[in-house]
Amino acid sequence: MTELRLDSVTRSFGAVQVLFDVGLTLAPGQVHALIGENGAGKSTTMKILSGYLAPTSGDVLLDGVPVTFPSSQAAEDAGVVLIHQEFNLAEQLTVEQNVFLGHELKRGFLLDKRAMRDRTAALLDRLNCRVDPRAVVRDISNPDKQMVEIAKALNRDARVLIMDEPTAVLTEREAEVLFEQVDRLRSDGVAILFTSHKLDEVKRLADVVTVMRDGHVVAQCPASDLSEDDMATAMVGRDVSSLYPERTGAVGDEVVLSVRDLRVPRFVHGMDLDLRRGEILGLAGLIGSGRTEAMEGLVGLRASTGTVTLNGAVVRWSGPRDALDAGVAYLTEDRKGRGLLLAKGMRENLTLASLGDFTRGLIDEAAEERALDRAIADFDIRAPHRGVVVGNLSGGNQQKLLLAKVMLADPDIVVIDEPTRGIDIGTKQQIYEFVHALAARGKSVIVISSEMQEVMGLADRVVVMRGGRVAGEVAGAAITEDAIVRLAMGLENTVRHREPAA
Amino acid sequence: MKHFAIAGLMAATALPAMAQETMVIGVSIPAATHGWAGGMNFHAQEAVDRLEEVYPQLDFVLATASDPAKQVNDIEDMLATRDIDALVVLPFESEPLTGPVAAVADSGAWVTVVDRGLAQEGIEDLYVAGDNSGFGRVSGEYMRSALPDGGKIVALRGIPTTIDNERVAGFEEAIEGSGIEVLDMEHGNWNRDDSFTVMQDFLSKHGEIDAVWASDDDMAIGVLAAIEAAGRDDVQFVLGGAGMKEMIRRTADGDAMIPANVTYPPAMIGTAIELTAVGLTSSAPVSGTFTIGSVLVTQDNAEDYYFPDSPF
Amino acid sequence: MSAASADTNPGARSGPALDLRVLGPILALAVLVLTGAMLNDNFLSYANITNVLSRSAFIGIIAVGMTFVITSGGLDLSVGSMAAFIAGLMILVMNGLLPTLGPGVALVLVGMAAALATGLVAGFVNGFLITTMRIEAFIVTLGTMGIYRSLVTWLADGGTLSLDFGMRTVIRPIYYDGILGISWPIIVFALVAVAGEVIMRRAAFGRHAAAVGSNDQVARYSSVNVDRVRMLTYVFLGILVGVATIMYVPRLGSASSSTGVLWELEAIAAVIIGGTMLKGGFGRVWGTVIGVLILSLIDNILNLTDGVSPYLNGAIQGVIIILAVILQRERKADA
Repeated sequence: MTELRLDSVTRSFGAVQVLFDVGLTLAPGQVHALIGENGAGKSTTMKILSGYLAPTSGDVLLDGVPVTFPSSQAAEDAGVVLIHQEFNLAEQLTVEQNVFLGHELKRGFLLDKRAMRDRTAALLDRLNCRVDPRAVVRDISNPDKQMVEIAKALNRDARVLIMDEPTAVLTEREAEVLFEQVDRLRSDGVAILFTSHKLDEVKRLADVVTVMRDGHVVAQCPASDLSEDDMATAMVGRDVSSLYPERTGAVGDEVVLSVRDLRVPRFVHGMDLDLRRGEILGLAGLIGSGRTEAMEGLVGLRASTGTVTLNGAVVRWSGPRDALDAGVAYLTEDRKGRGLLLAKGMRENLTLASLGDFTRGLIDEAAEERALDRAIADFDIRAPHRGVVVGNLSGGNQQKLLLAKVMLADPDIVVIDEPTRGIDIGTKQQIYEFVHALAARGKSVIVISSEMQEVMGLADRVVVMRGGRVAGEVAGAAITEDAIVRLAMGLENTVRHREPAA
Repeated sequence: MKHFAIAGLMAATALPAMAQETMVIGVSIPAATHGWAGGMNFHAQEAVDRLEEVYPQLDFVLATASDPAKQVNDIEDMLATRDIDALVVLPFESEPLTGPVAAVADSGAWVTVVDRGLAQEGIEDLYVAGDNSGFGRVSGEYMRSALPDGGKIVALRGIPTTIDNERVAGFEEAIEGSGIEVLDMEHGNWNRDDSFTVMQDFLSKHGEIDAVWASDDDMAIGVLAAIEAAGRDDVQFVLGGAGMKEMIRRTADGDAMIPANVTYPPAMIGTAIELTAVGLTSSAPVSGTFTIGSVLVTQDNAEDYYFPDSPF
Repeated sequence: MSAASADTNPGARSGPALDLRVLGPILALAVLVLTGAMLNDNFLSYANITNVLSRSAFIGIIAVGMTFVITSGGLDLSVGSMAAFIAGLMILVMNGLLPTLGPGVALVLVGMAAALATGLVAGFVNGFLITTMRIEAFIVTLGTMGIYRSLVTWLADGGTLSLDFGMRTVIRPIYYDGILGISWPIIVFALVAVAGEVIMRRAAFGRHAAAVGSNDQVARYSSVNVDRVRMLTYVFLGILVGVATIMYVPRLGSASSSTGVLWELEAIAAVIIGGTMLKGGFGRVWGTVIGVLILSLIDNILNLTDGVSPYLNGAIQGVIIILAVILQRERKADA
């Protein structure tokens, strides 16, 4: 049984202090949730716990004894393992090779492959994960990767497990599997800390909650003492009970975009879709149901067939440039891998998709700067300084910049894929307001989201996809979690929920 | 049926052997990466074509290699798949080729080594070589006669190899005590561009240069271009070497900047192949060492060394 | 930390006043110039400076094109062989047309057109195989490197292709003459460099090349035509190889299989010394120009100096290249 404790820990980067007098205790057999907005100091705290950073002052105590981990390796050797949000797996290696990476079992000079495979299979069994130990990590799903990370940690004999947003990439059903494993690990006496932006998860899973804001611990108590509202209020420092803004502006009658028999090989098998002026259309479905692929096919990012009618005229787009020129923009769910150039500044990112508007032979940098001024004001982008490299912005501010970048091209139809993944509540609220404002200005918006609350809170109408086809749609008062889930899961009696559109 | 076929096959293969045995000569040389090697390739191909007509019982396998490792592979392949009776080899480098050539000699095949000696003595049956010390000596002696009162010269060297070292040593020995001062020596790597650059810098560095030992005609071309571009008239002449046809032509035409040349004939490969063919097909004694001396070419005898068809 | 608003707090971390990433190559060049001037009086003479700049021009013009290829995440190993091949072809074309056109400006222009057209086609072939056929740039250009090298050897029959003597006096001025005492190669190199710098920094194409090299997925999702940008970098480089060859052929009037050997590595080294990232995403043309000058100055200084064994030239070059890159390495900030 191992207990890990922080005592009066502070941490500064140069002149900037980011942690103030942080104390928390990870006790055996207890699940500890660490919550707070982006930039509240959660990551720094986790890095100090797991030996990636040293505290500027204060102590890390392992079973009551002050320790300094010279490296994350030393922390792992002591049984303290951090699982990163972006997985730390070698994509080209197999599951079993990853689980034993750096700790390979040997028989003499040779690797004992059989023993490693058996151990891996046993660990995965214990986690109720059915992935083949010989599968290459690149080919397995995100939740399976998560399980492999946990199996790797267990194989290191982890006594303290720290998970950075473990459910960020999981669907609700997948998250449920993870929770079962967390429950099991808790009963095995493992000390667990996790971070999450999903407060219902925190409520469901945690024994103890620590809330951080601006580097301070602002609340720390048993999870049962805090409601979700209490948590949100503590995090933001103000009341956020009305997360979704009041809908203003009416959906027009005019169909601006009409899609018939859209097919994307392997992913989408015939999809019909109508979008009206000023409408916010939710596109729901499980991960893998073809939502993202359908929209990427629509704008020409993937090879697709089908008939697309825009404002009454049939159009044919060979690439995203054509779609954007016609006024249809797609905002990717993968803002780090596909949305933004992390090594570049805000200005270069902002204008990348609409550089033509800033070019008369040469790029007009003054005009770019003016556009950045406007974007910073309109989208409330908060950067430490103007020349910041975009990779150093918080997730929320990256998302706002990405929105600003897409809106700079002044599209009439915007497809937003997972608008609020991995960002804090305060920023979420702002992004919802942007989406509403767009619709109020007569733009049409398609929102793809895995978060049921988000779809229900935002959309005028919800189309649910399943297995590459439209499973059904719900509108107005009929938009309920139950209706959407039934459609997404393919349960038969959903038909009666279906309402004729408008 | 089957028996019949096999018997027929055996008869077919046995017959020519009874009439006259075909013998295979392998020729392994470096690829044409600079002018002299280009000439050598030309002469090798020319000799092979000619000898195949003269000796119908001989088969030739010609392989060019761009580096020593490839040459080793070539020779091993010849031994393994072509079952060669003789090998004519111009080794890329001495050390790496010694073992593989020794293996050919051990198989009982005739071995002729050309130009560059092997690291171990006594492997080859015939050694046809240019005389590198002699090349340097003849060059030095010409320098000495052309600058009887001494003078200041610069020299360009080839690719750093034994050949280059022997030439330079021969040259230095020949000019010793003549009052000729070598201001500078740099490697021009038997390359026109490199020697152009080196000569430009020599001209910047030294205000007074009487003559240049370019030691190779490719390098001489680069040197001449640099002198011409700098507009310097203190340099009286440039001595190249190896007998490139364009340079021989200019010597024959009385160009004052190129009054002489020193041969190091790429045709020596042809001589070697021919001697090998003679040794294989007759009982004439051709083993031993056959040195092809370097000869001074001046306007008087230049026509004798002018081969307009050669690429070099 | 993230609360500071964008326009109120620009000074805090906008970078130190002396940025080694910018200064590194300039510093290395300055040290070399000082060393040269101390070691030899003729180093700073007009003639020597003209020599060094003129001979830098071939690699320099190619390296400017290479900067774009590397910035967009590519690589081209074929440029040295391509230059030799283009030089050989240019000589053959001019020799072949000499009887019809006679020695004159018209023939020179035809030769130039042939060089540029061949460069364009060669660049297009590389670009096509890399973008459309989706083969690794390293493999494609390794392959074309061998192809061009052996084609020129074949054209020259193993020897040297020489421009007809009657033509040489007509074409010679392209390398040796100039205006106002500045030779043509220097002028052309300067023009190419300035144009390259402006395109890299101020034109949409330069921005797109950096975006593609930084993350081609982001570029694609930002409606940038990734394949077209990549293709253009190779075509652009091919044309510049043609331009470099037009400067090269008049110098000695010949081409052989030893022409342009290792030019590709010198060009790549110059690009990297100049601060462009080998993995792509960031490029600067002025840095490349400095890199080229550093490389040619090392040779020049070693030739002008006694006391260093010529056997060690390569080692000294290697040390200086590595030092120049170390000098400009970003000191890892905490993050």
